[in-house]
Amino acid sequence: MGTALSRWTMAYFTAALVFLMAAQTMMAMGYGYPTVAVEAPETLVLVHTVTIGWLSLLMCGALLQFVPVLVAKPLQSEKLVLPALLCLLSGLVCLLAGFLHLAGAIETDLPLLPAAATLLPAGFLLVVIVVARTLWNVRPARLPLPARFVAIGLACLAVTFAIGALFALVLSGLLPLDLRTEGLSIHIAAGVGGWLTFTAIGVSYRLLPMFMLAPDEERAASRAVWRCGILALLCFAAAPLERLAGGFGIFGPAAAVLALAALYFYGLDLVFLYRNRKRRKLELNMKAAIGAFVAFFACGLLLPVAALTGTLEMYSGAVFYLAAFGWLTGLGLSQLYKIVPFLTWLECFGAVMGRKPTPRVQDLVAERRARLWFALYFTGVAIGTGALACAVPGLFRLASAMTLVAIGAIIVELVVSRRLLNLPERDSLPEGASRPRLFLPSAR
Amino acid sequence: MTLPPYDLDVRPILREGGEPFSVIMGAVEALAPGQSLRLLATFKPIPLFHVMGARGFDASAREIGNGDWEVIFTPAGLEAEETPKPSEPAKSGDDWPEPELEVDARELDPPEPMTRTLAAVESLPVGRTMSALLPREPLFLFEELKRRGHEWRGAFEPAGHYRIVIRAAEAQKGTS
Repeated sequence: MGTALSRWTMAYFTAALVFLMAAQTMMAMGYGYPTVAVEAPETLVLVHTVTIGWLSLLMCGALLQFVPVLVAKPLQSEKLVLPALLCLLSGLVCLLAGFLHLAGAIETDLPLLPAAATLLPAGFLLVVIVVARTLWNVRPARLPLPARFVAIGLACLAVTFAIGALFALVLSGLLPLDLRTEGLSIHIAAGVGGWLTFTAIGVSYRLLPMFMLAPDEERAASRAVWRCGILALLCFAAAPLERLAGGFGIFGPAAAVLALAALYFYGLDLVFLYRNRKRRKLELNMKAAIGAFVAFFACGLLLPVAALTGTLEMYSGAVFYLAAFGWLTGLGLSQLYKIVPFLTWLECFGAVMGRKPTPRVQDLVAERRARLWFALYFTGVAIGTGALACAVPGLFRLASAMTLVAIGAIIVELVVSRRLLNLPERDSLPEGASRPRLFLPSAR
Repeated sequence: MTLPPYDLDVRPILREGGEPFSVIMGAVEALAPGQSLRLLATFKPIPLFHVMGARGFDASAREIGNGDWEVIFTPAGLEAEETPKPSEPAKSGDDWPEPELEVDARELDPPEPMTRTLAAVESLPVGRTMSALLPREPLFLFEELKRRGHEWRGAFEPAGHYRIVIRAAEAQKGTS
C-alpha cells in the first residue's frame, strides 16, 4: 500500500516477539534475577533482551507505522528503516554476547561490548532520524499532542542509548569511569520512563479514540499529563547533578510527585475515553488493555509506598517487573492483537475494497480463544509480581511459565490472522486481493 | 430479460450488526448485462437507491412483512452508465459537479469509513462526484485513491470531522 503501510513494521514486530519469547523462557528457567543478583551479568542479559529486544523493537516498529498517522505526513527517509533494524539486531546480539562473556558463559577475545556500543546507538539513531524528520515535516504547524509525547520519547531514547554506550565501554575497560550510581538511575528512568512509557502514552492518545470511537480532541488533562511528565523527567535528570553538587535532595522527591500527578491526569483521561466511547461493545484489544492500565497504576501506587517505607530496594524488582510486563508488555500485546489483523486486512484487501465483497477485520481473529490467553497472561503477571515481592523464586518461575505459554498462544493467534486461517473464504480470495507474507514486505 | 434476477438476502448480515454494502456492490459487479438484482433487507435501503441510480438501475421496493423489504433493481438502459450528464455550470471557478451521494462514516470503526467511501466512489460514473464525512483525515484512503486514479478535495469541518469530495476516474479493474 505504498507509503501508508510501513514496509518493515511487521519485521520489527516479529523480531520483538522472538526476543520476548526468549526472555520469558529465561525467566521460566530461572536465568537471571531473582535467582542471581540484580546487577549480575545474567540479569543484564535478561533485562536487555526485554527492554531492547522486545519493548524497543516493538515501539520502533509501531512508531514507523503510526507516526505518519499521528501527524498526517508520509514517513521520511524510509530507506533507513531496514539498515536500522539490521544495526539493532546485530548490536543487540553483540550486547547479549558481551554480557554472557562477563558472566563467564562464553570465551572470546572479540570486542563484543564496544561493537554493541557502536551498532545499537547507530540503529536507534537511524530510527530517531526517520521519526524525527517525519515529525519535523509538520512545521510550521504545531505538533499534535500525541506527537509531542513521541518527540520527548525520542529525546529520552537518545539519552538512554548514549549512557548505555558509555556503560558498555566502561564494562569493557575502555573508559576509566564509574557511572554506576548516577548514570544507572538516569539510564533506567530515561529508558523505561521517558522512552517507553512517554511514547506509549502518546501513542495511546491516538489509538484509544480510534479503536473505541471516543472524542479525539486535545483535553486539558492530557496537557497536564504532558507538562507534569516533562517536569518529572527534568527533575529526575537534575537529581544526580544536585547530589554531586551537595544540594538538599529536592529534585528526587519532586520528580516522584510530578510523575504521580502525571499518572493521575492520565487516569482521568483513560476514564474519560472509556466512558465517552461511541463503540459500546469493546473489542478484546481494548479489554485486555485495561489489564495494562491497572498494572501501570499499581506501579504508581507501589513505588511511593515502597519509597516512604524505606523498602524500595526490596521491592524494586517487583515494581520493575510489573512495569515491564504488566504495563508495557500488556499494552503492547493487546494492541498487537488489533494492529496486526488490521494491517493484514489492509494489505490483503486494500486493492479490492469497495469493488468486491470483503470480510470484516474482525473475521481475521477469534477473540473467544484469544480471551483465554490474555486472561492467562495477566494472571501470570499478577502472580509473578507477588512472587518477586515476597521473594519466592520458585513461584516466579511458575508464573513465568504461565506467561510464556500465554504469549506463545497469542503469537500463534497473530500468525493465524496473518495467514487468514480464521477466514472461511481463505482459499477463494476475491480477484485482486493479495495474500500477505508473514513478516516480509509484500510485493505490491 | 430472460435471465432470472440475482437474489441477495442481506438480512442475516444486518441482524448481526454487519455492513452489507460491500456484499451488495460485489453482487452488482457479478450481474450479467441486463440482469436484475433482487435484494432482501430489514429496512427500505433508500441510500442504496441513489447509488444504484447512479449506476443506471431503477428501483422498485415493497414491504414483505416483519418490517422486511424486497427491492428489485432493474437496469434502466445499457448506455446509462457510460454517459455522464453534462456537468452543471461551473460555480465560482469550480468545474466539479455537485456530489450526488454522501456517505456519513463519522461513527464507524476503521476501516469501515474507507470501505464505504471506496464502494461509493466505485459506484459512480466517470467524472461524477460523491462526498464523505469521516472521523479523521483519511491517510490510508488518500493512498488508495491515488492508486486508483481518483481525484479528491478535502478539509476538516468546524465540527471536527473531515469532509472529502471525490471525483471518479475511469474504472481500473483489478489491482493497479
